[in-house]
Amino acid sequence: MSPQTRAVENWTLQPLTDFVREASARLVLVLTPSGQVLAQSGFSRAVDVMSAAALAAAIVASTSELARQLRQAPFAALSHQGPKTGFFLSTFMTERGTLAVLAVYDLDVSSLGLVQLFYEQLAAELKSATPRGAVPKQVLAADFERELTDSLNTLFGR
Amino acid sequence: MSKALDLITRVRGVRGAMLVSAEDGLIVAEQLMEGIKGGAVAALAASLAGRLRRAMEAAGTGTSVFWHLQAEQGALLVVPGGDAADGILVVAVAEPDVNIGLVRLELLRAAETVV
Amino acid sequence: MADDIRALSAQLAQDPQSLVFLRLGEALRRKGQLEGALRVAMNGLERHPHLADAHDLYARILTDKHDYERAFDEWDMAVRIAPHHTGALKGLAFLYFKVGDLAQAEAHLEQARKVEPDDPSIDQAIAMMRKGVTPPTPEQRAAPSPPAAAAAPAAAVSSSGFDEARVFAGLEGANEGLLLIDGAGRVLGGALRDGSGADVTDRVAAYLAGVSQEAARTAKLLGLGAWNGLSAEGQHGNVHLAHPTPDALLLVVRERGMPLGRLAILAQRATTMARRWLEKQ
Repeated sequence: MSPQTRAVENWTLQPLTDFVREASARLVLVLTPSGQVLAQSGFSRAVDVMSAAALAAAIVASTSELARQLRQAPFAALSHQGPKTGFFLSTFMTERGTLAVLAVYDLDVSSLGLVQLFYEQLAAELKSATPRGAVPKQVLAADFERELTDSLNTLFGR
Repeated sequence: MSKALDLITRVRGVRGAMLVSAEDGLIVAEQLMEGIKGGAVAALAASLAGRLRRAMEAAGTGTSVFWHLQAEQGALLVVPGGDAADGILVVAVAEPDVNIGLVRLELLRAAETVV
Repeated sequence: MADDIRALSAQLAQDPQSLVFLRLGEALRRKGQLEGALRVAMNGLERHPHLADAHDLYARILTDKHDYERAFDEWDMAVRIAPHHTGALKGLAFLYFKVGDLAQAEAHLEQARKVEPDDPSIDQAIAMMRKGVTPPTPEQRAAPSPPAAAAAPAAAVSSSGFDEARVFAGLEGANEGLLLIDGAGRVLGGALRDGSGADVTDRVAAYLAGVSQEAARTAKLLGLGAWNGLSAEGQHGNVHLAHPTPDALLLVVRERGMPLGRLAILAQRATTMARRWLEKQ
């Protein structure tokens, strides 16, 4: 396991560790569309995880809405690439409901092609590793802050 | 584009030919036999090309004009596009006993014609 | 000696087809006029390509020029033409000793002894080799002193007769175009220089581990099985990467003029040497 890869839910850890190694991704989040983080890799500050998760959830929500208005299925993936860094965001279905993966990669060690290639493997492994009979967890406002704190503590090994 | 790929795949032992974006590792055009994963070929060929380029530049041999990965059950042959097709890799996947010289010629020819 | 050379040159000029080039080439070599000796030997070889003595002469000159790889080829050719050519057998023994293959070195000397049991230089070479001292290069019997090629490497030979720096001894470009590294990118032997002559060994070694990992992953994920070589033509030079053992990598770099096929053969030879060396570690 990479020392920088941590998971709130253990079943996500091995697939994520493999993905980070194979795709040479710098930062990765596995999250729900509501922004709950299940696992992270590469982040060193909790505040960065919180903002990345919130922004990723917002992008998933807005592109899903765009797709709905265009009367088509949700977009498979979204990617943006700058001169040195790119990011890739995609969702997939599991028994726990929809999950999203946000991956940030540096162009000198990785590429969109590599990230896409190993994302397919990550999604397949996460799908098969999802605990059977698990139901999507409802996030109540009252529990949200406590859950967030607990999650962040786990994600940063505190 | 497809004509250029067609000439490569006509060589006996070639199982597929592709144009790949060197920076993204994505497929630009492909002509593959069944069973060849185009996305994987594109991503991995581009990644290996990038690493090889850095090593060759460090060794003082300049950027590669042709490279060839030989494996037990097949080969991957690549010509990085020239000035006209900068950023494009012309890629062939072949049987291990393919005529490398012939594939190399067709790849170089394709790299010249692709713009 | 100068008179000899003049006389031999005159004879050769008079009869270019004659075998006097053998004596002239050897005389020039002994005098240290290696370029002249090389020209004479090559001209002679063009006229007498199936003459074992001509290949033997050429190999001795190449050895003096430290071009051991081509010297090996020439002595090998001489033995193919004339299996009992003791000069070539001793030459091959010398080169095998230089790369640490004592068994092959001794086998070739024994073969030479069978052909010429009364030649004391063969017994002497076997004795020296067993003591871990480099035997002299195979001179003609009357050779007055060992040439520089034999004397210089002797100083570098460790007590075991082999050391890290000499993993590629005997191969052309061992100190500027061959590199052996371990899986972590650490240099085990050889060295690399770029076009300007700068030492780029460590820099290239650092990149090679990544290239090898990517080559292995590519071959595996594309269903091509294990990779066994990566050849590349560059704008200013050609390279071949191989792995003599699962944990080691070998890079051969040569000028652009060397075809990839020949480079692959050279790499194969270097791979064999590297594998033997690694097995001994």
